[in-house]
Amino acid sequence: MPTGGDSEAPAAELVGITKRFGPVVANDGIDLAIRRGEIHGVVGENGAGKSTLMSILYGLRRPDSGHVLRNGTRVRLRSPAEAIGHGLGMVHQRFRLFPDLTVAENIVIGAEPTRRGVVDLAAAGREIERLGEVFGLYVDPASRAGRLPVGVRQRVEILKALYREAEVLILDEPTAVLTPGEAARLFDVLKTVTRTGTSVVLVTHKLSEVLTATDRVTVLRRGRVTGRFVTAETTADELVIAMIGRSLGPPRRPAAPDGEPDGTPAGRPYALEVDGLTVLDRDGVPRLSDVSFGVRPGEIVGIAGVAGSGQRELIDTVTGLRPPGSATSGGVLLSGRPVRRGREPAIAYVPEDRHGRATAATMSLAENLVMGDHRTPALRGRAGLSAAAVRERARTLVERFAIRAASVGDPISALSGGNAQKAVLARELSRGTPVIVVEEPTQGVDVGAQEQIHGLLSEARAAGQAVLLQSSELSELRALADRILVMFEGRVVAELAGDEATEERLGAAMTGATATPGQAAPAAETESSATAREQGPADAKGTTR
Amino acid sequence: MSAVRLGSLARGRAAALGPLGRSAPAVLAVAGALVVTTLVMLVVGVDPSDAYPALIRGAVADGNLEYTIGAFVPTLGMALAFAIPLRTGEFNLGGDGQMALGGVAAAALALRVPLPPGVAVALPLVVAALTGAVVAGISAPLHTRFGIPAIVTTLLVSTPAVALSSYLVRFPLAEPRTGIAETPLLPDAAHLPAIGASGYVTIGLPLILLLTAGWIYVDRRTVAGYEIRATGANREFARYGGVRVDRLAVVTMAGGGAFAGLVGGLIVLGPPFRFVDGALTAPGYTFTAIAAVLLATGRPIAVPFTVALMTILQVGGEGMERDAGVPSQLTQVIQGLVIVIVAALATTRVLRERRARRAQEIDVGEANA
Repeated sequence: MPTGGDSEAPAAELVGITKRFGPVVANDGIDLAIRRGEIHGVVGENGAGKSTLMSILYGLRRPDSGHVLRNGTRVRLRSPAEAIGHGLGMVHQRFRLFPDLTVAENIVIGAEPTRRGVVDLAAAGREIERLGEVFGLYVDPASRAGRLPVGVRQRVEILKALYREAEVLILDEPTAVLTPGEAARLFDVLKTVTRTGTSVVLVTHKLSEVLTATDRVTVLRRGRVTGRFVTAETTADELVIAMIGRSLGPPRRPAAPDGEPDGTPAGRPYALEVDGLTVLDRDGVPRLSDVSFGVRPGEIVGIAGVAGSGQRELIDTVTGLRPPGSATSGGVLLSGRPVRRGREPAIAYVPEDRHGRATAATMSLAENLVMGDHRTPALRGRAGLSAAAVRERARTLVERFAIRAASVGDPISALSGGNAQKAVLARELSRGTPVIVVEEPTQGVDVGAQEQIHGLLSEARAAGQAVLLQSSELSELRALADRILVMFEGRVVAELAGDEATEERLGAAMTGATATPGQAAPAAETESSATAREQGPADAKGTTR
Repeated sequence: MSAVRLGSLARGRAAALGPLGRSAPAVLAVAGALVVTTLVMLVVGVDPSDAYPALIRGAVADGNLEYTIGAFVPTLGMALAFAIPLRTGEFNLGGDGQMALGGVAAAALALRVPLPPGVAVALPLVVAALTGAVVAGISAPLHTRFGIPAIVTTLLVSTPAVALSSYLVRFPLAEPRTGIAETPLLPDAAHLPAIGASGYVTIGLPLILLLTAGWIYVDRRTVAGYEIRATGANREFARYGGVRVDRLAVVTMAGGGAFAGLVGGLIVLGPPFRFVDGALTAPGYTFTAIAAVLLATGRPIAVPFTVALMTILQVGGEGMERDAGVPSQLTQVIQGLVIVIVAALATTRVLRERRARRAQEIDVGEANA
């Protein structure tokens, strides 16, 4: 146990941390003290500076000025290895586990117990079981990491840090990949962990988590501390004001496209129809089982579910990008005709993976903005692709979608995440296709861009486009979607109307709680919710299938 | 607010420097190699002020220039054979096999089929290119169907292809009764028209320059070039955009092979106007060309220049050996150093980017400030 006795000296303290990136001040004289045995929330919007601050605490970045104290003593953290040496541990948003290694191997890697020069896995297993008992983190050391559910993999990451004797545990947006139930279990574990004197820093932008799980909170906005609170004595409103400088208005819901000649979307035929779709992967394992639904023009249908519940396969099949080697049955129809393989041109598609799929980092913004349209006559010059037409198209889109870029000739990697995402949306939405498929549209973008992106999707809906929206932000789904489909283990297990989809109901469905009764239950639910939503009994029929 | 600038500072620095910035690694590599070579000369007691002029004289003085051009043409052709597939991210290391079988095909056609003048030169060259394309094309499905990297398959196909060409030249196509591993002299109609007196410079030079210009045009200005570059920049991005990346990989690999085959044809139809076993692969055009393309970091416009540099080093080395008594192997040292330095710079860049990405990963959202 560290010296210092009682809580006089904080377990970790950041003093006067300033960090600039060029003209941007990411951290501006931040002081943050983490007491022994507390759960300390660090909250703020995307871009508030919390991740930079944590990367400094974990030795990934060095501050321009300011320093770090451990138990009152100044320490130099020039690398994560040094940070670990000083008893700091970090659980990253994306896990760093080797899927083919066992839990024990993953935990001890790089710090293996040895017996006569040979790795002693038995000792490792015993140590992991001991840690599990002390901290209430039970994981079978012999199971393969790749086979574990996400929530358990996260426990392995926590164990990995504790095994390295971390006394200050940093968790960066730990609930992003968890179901609400798993998140609740995580917070129980964290409470147990702190009982031994270990401190936890919980980085998040979700207020509900802060209020349920933390002891104290530090709020950051634009690189500065804008509030320090004892959780038990504060309210959500107070935190919001500290976070964004004003209180939140009522949650926005897209206005139903009223005043349309043909009334509500319910009467229209499906623009996108998925019928009994089953997808088997290379090994013949079903990834998607008998999925059926439809999206009408002027409607946003949301897809919720824990990551890996079949969303990837569903969207890849709908857009025609299903990987070779997989097999399907059932079909995807676009206004009645089957989708084309190798990217369906009549679907605008905004992928979740901005760097891996939606953009080519080394190509210019202009070149990125014409992908998919590059064969159209509008961009043709006398011989081949007209550079002038490409630039012109790019400039038009940059203006129309308010993309902030110095020049359309610069590589797209020079844009901020929010602007790169707007570029992707600009490219896809400008095509005016009848169907739009969007994955995680606001992941890693700042609040201003978020609002704009939501506005664009609402506009598309109002313009009569059919939108399929996959998101792990339940609030986003609830704010935008007319209906929400919940996926679990490759099936659609529930369908809820947007205004009926409470976090609890979605959360329950995401864990498969409603899966057992079969397809009948969700169907029944849909019927009622559709009625509620349309507020007109005449249109209720035919909303569901 | 200043997010754009933050991003460009962090990531777009090389791009911000423009074309000069992109050439910096190449310049650095050549300069570094020359410095080390000079040190080596001093250590072994060679006067650099003798050696370097001798190297330049060996490459460009009097009759030597024509000889240098004679080596430049096949090296540039082989550079395209490597550079075209590289643009989609594929490595063609099988240039030797594609070139050898292309040469054999050209020789066989010229020897066995009487053709009218003009056609007697053009048709063997076309057949040589097609043969090279087919040999290279064989590797592509192994890659796209079975997931074996092209860098492996092209190399694996190359060795038996060279061996096959060797067999064909020694037996079915050999000059009868001589026992020498070479074909008979090709008919006069099949000789490449020479430019100048020496005979080393043929119409192969304008032909290969024209084709290089054509490639640069395709790469910059056409839909195909755009798709090729997009595939090389990010394969999944291209697939997402509707590009048939697997087919494109086959086409560019075959296109590269066509250039290798064409080089084989040009060598065989040039002096000494026959296929001499080993004469195509022995000068090491394939790997000199790969070095040149790597030095050009794959940029089409830079390739002819780096090829010229490498050729001058290669040919000039022999002159240096004659005049200054410096072993010509020293120029291979220079070439080797250039590649080592280019590779080292590329590696450090990748490592730096990886580190930046790691820092950024926990920094999600931060870059959007």
